[in-house]
Amino acid sequence: MAKIAYYPGNTARAASMEVEDCIVPLCKTLGIELIEIPKASSDGGNIIGQASPKLQHSLVARNLALAEQKSLDIMTTCATSHAIMCDTADIIASDSVYASQLNNLISLTSGIEYLGESKSRHLLHYLVEEIGLDKISAAVINPIKLNVAGYYGSNMQREGACGNDDAFLPNYLEQLINAIGGVPVDYELKCQSVGAPSLLTLEGTAMAMTAAVLADAKQNGADIMVSACTISHSNLDSYQSRAGKLTGKDTAMPVVHLAELVAFALGHYPDRFAQLRTRALIIGS
Amino acid sequence: MSIIAKVWIEEDCITCDACQDICPEVFQLTDETSQIVAAVRIDGVFDRNTGGSLLKADFGKEFVDYIKEAAEACPVDIIKFEMVETSAPAAEAEAETAAPIAEFVATVAAAAAPVSISAGTSDALTAVFSGDRTLTILFGSQTGNAAGLAEKTAKLAANYELVANAVDMDGYNPASLVGCKRVLIITSTWGEGDMPDNAEDFWQNVNSSSPTLAGVNYSVCAIGDSSYDEFCKAGVDWDQKFSALGATSIQQIQLCDVDFNEPWAAWVKTVLPRIACVDDAGIFHESLVEEMSAYGAGGDDSVSSGDFTPGTVVMDEISVTLELFRYCPSTAQSGWDTISCAVPAHATVEDLLICIQQDVDGSLAFRRGTNGGTPTTGVRVNGRIVLADIARISDLIGASGNLKIEPAPGLPIIRDLIVDLSGYEAARARAEPWMRADPREGVRLLNGAAVATMDASLATELHQKSDILSYQLIQSMSDTSSYDKAYEGPGIHLQQWLRAEDPRCGAEQRKNIISSLNETDGVWAEADLSSIARYGFDGKLAANGLNSARAYLLNASNYGGKHGRLVKWYGRSVKWTGNVNETTLYRQVLGPLGLIGNIFNGISARMLLGFTRNGGPPIRGLQGLLMPPSGIGKIPNMINSKVDAHHEVVSLFNKIDKRF
Repeated sequence: MAKIAYYPGNTARAASMEVEDCIVPLCKTLGIELIEIPKASSDGGNIIGQASPKLQHSLVARNLALAEQKSLDIMTTCATSHAIMCDTADIIASDSVYASQLNNLISLTSGIEYLGESKSRHLLHYLVEEIGLDKISAAVINPIKLNVAGYYGSNMQREGACGNDDAFLPNYLEQLINAIGGVPVDYELKCQSVGAPSLLTLEGTAMAMTAAVLADAKQNGADIMVSACTISHSNLDSYQSRAGKLTGKDTAMPVVHLAELVAFALGHYPDRFAQLRTRALIIGS
Repeated sequence: MSIIAKVWIEEDCITCDACQDICPEVFQLTDETSQIVAAVRIDGVFDRNTGGSLLKADFGKEFVDYIKEAAEACPVDIIKFEMVETSAPAAEAEAETAAPIAEFVATVAAAAAPVSISAGTSDALTAVFSGDRTLTILFGSQTGNAAGLAEKTAKLAANYELVANAVDMDGYNPASLVGCKRVLIITSTWGEGDMPDNAEDFWQNVNSSSPTLAGVNYSVCAIGDSSYDEFCKAGVDWDQKFSALGATSIQQIQLCDVDFNEPWAAWVKTVLPRIACVDDAGIFHESLVEEMSAYGAGGDDSVSSGDFTPGTVVMDEISVTLELFRYCPSTAQSGWDTISCAVPAHATVEDLLICIQQDVDGSLAFRRGTNGGTPTTGVRVNGRIVLADIARISDLIGASGNLKIEPAPGLPIIRDLIVDLSGYEAARARAEPWMRADPREGVRLLNGAAVATMDASLATELHQKSDILSYQLIQSMSDTSSYDKAYEGPGIHLQQWLRAEDPRCGAEQRKNIISSLNETDGVWAEADLSSIARYGFDGKLAANGLNSARAYLLNASNYGGKHGRLVKWYGRSVKWTGNVNETTLYRQVLGPLGLIGNIFNGISARMLLGFTRNGGPPIRGLQGLLMPPSGIGKIPNMINSKVDAHHEVVSLFNKIDKRF
């Protein structure tokens, strides 16, 4: 059984509980053993980093060091958290002076150091590269049978943070959607930011960016959207009607997280999957 | 065989028609003179070709006899031409099947490699010089050092009548090794004994395909750092691998430490004459090495001791399906051209566009550069925002072979790939990021004028922070600018911030810049810095710079405004529990009115009722009753539980930043 430490990100245990309760059965079905890191804290969400990059890097280095103590990589369901961990690991690998400063700090406070051995893996990359699409496909009980637009966002779509997928023309989500019986929908803005970090401060801009992504996916025939990021998910889902109103675009579309959609395909929560299909095919939002 | 590299017409043509009659494909008469047809020339110009433009490979080969005949038939003897020898049959065969764009480069390469042997050379050495003289120099390079040495080695190889190509390992086909008689490998070692990034795939491919290298003569120059345990491991691995695959080591591996120039020079001084003694059949003639050394050393000594002109890196040609954005301003119509072609992988995007313009569609519009990273040549290629005059096709093309070229995003399009930079320039003029220094203390010249002094480490730091190729390109990287027309853009703000960080900047200018950056169209207007940070080195540098500007402004305003409150309360909620409390953020950032606004504008309702997100198990049972909508959703937690060992998080905050 594949073993990996699990980092839920900043919202999976708060506003994105649906991700949290899908990831566990999903991993069980696919033979992945999730190891909790109960001491892990928020990674600062690139918000704390605006005031103090060092503080954010320390929080992240501590989380990575906690996984390293267990000799495990970390898997997360949030693209933003994954990108933040990759950034921190990169800077620690490239700047030994700064790395030793960070390690001194977390050594003083937590008695551990991050040696750069544990790496972050996003759920998407872990599923495609480690578990394999064939194995996932073979485990499908309820094929999705919907036109699904994959949303990557901008955070993890850069060299070094998206596994072996192309950073700018990715297709892992599309491959995965195919493997679970859905029909992938290609659209231009799948890597564009929806302005999630500025949701509360630049609402107009964030809503315009959100509406553009949803409308683009919808115009290309998507029934639903699947998000690889729990934070962007909030913009795309709970704010979609607001985005539609402010921009006049057609944004109504069910949006689920990647962990949910895969869990549904693997036969978990058939009632929720039925409701999702009803929303997608009858209600439309 | 011989081909004609170039043909031209000298003055005093009597317009007798003889040349045009013999070879109308190459010669065409005007009222005053015969001229060389544009279609056969790589510069695409129709004139007498006194500038000496090369002929495209096909024409130089196909019409060689006709051009000679025309020259002989010319009554005033003004048709001149230049021949070159192409001696490699395999290369000829490839050239025959190549598409026009590849031929362009092949022609240049062929013309650049004439073979002329000095008098006084022994018959045995002359015999070695005949036939295929190709030398393949493969380089694995992380920072460019090995690539530079490969290029220098290629230059020096010409002294031994070798036709050398410095070849990037990235994308090199292991099967191509089988036909090589002479191979040199120059590689650095990265990390803990790893291959450089550009060599990793090639290494894996050689290991998996295990080609038989029985006819290959080789040597390895390895660069490393002896302070690492795995000193020069990549080079040692290649040496052992080539040996295991049956290749013949022509000279022992050279290990170079961080001061690599001297050992490399020693290696190249002995390896080149030795590998030059490998004949057309792949046989090494050791008895000729001494004579070969003398022959090579007899060349221009300045070649080995002076400056080097940039070498040519040659990569295999690849098939490309090009999708090219087109926009016609007169009809306001846009669309895509699709063109299939073969192109050398080392060509730049601009090389390709020039060829398309010359050979396919002269109306294609794009900005040309100077092959040195011209800031205004930005385009988007396969999603990447790059400068067309330095971006190599091999770095951009995916496995599918598709190349989608479109204008740089976020700016109005003038025509095809040309975007309107006037808005950017106007914003820059308003921002005034250029230096306006105050009078200050410093070293004085004899005439009394002050010369500024700056601490060397600070100067280095400033230089590193501003090591940006193109601010216009940074301007295009933001996803936000397409949705907020008032936003001045990251390219402008970064220049302002870098100026404000410069200690030579005058106090008044700094004050104005800081004030400008804090405006609603300033650095806070960027909705997501990650959309900039994803674009390679420059993107990351820009995002870090803009983040520094935000940190400065947060401090200066004592966390005022919405942005300040968001950062402050995000930090506090993490410090209090180890987790983010979204309810706290909503309450503190939006305030009571904002929360009420969420109720009226439907967000809260969607969270509670219409939310796609489904709630926890106890709620889920009710969903069937409540559908539609599908179920009660999820609102953010009011109170977070603390993470284990929460005191460690608090301690980290207290040690680094007590402001929270």
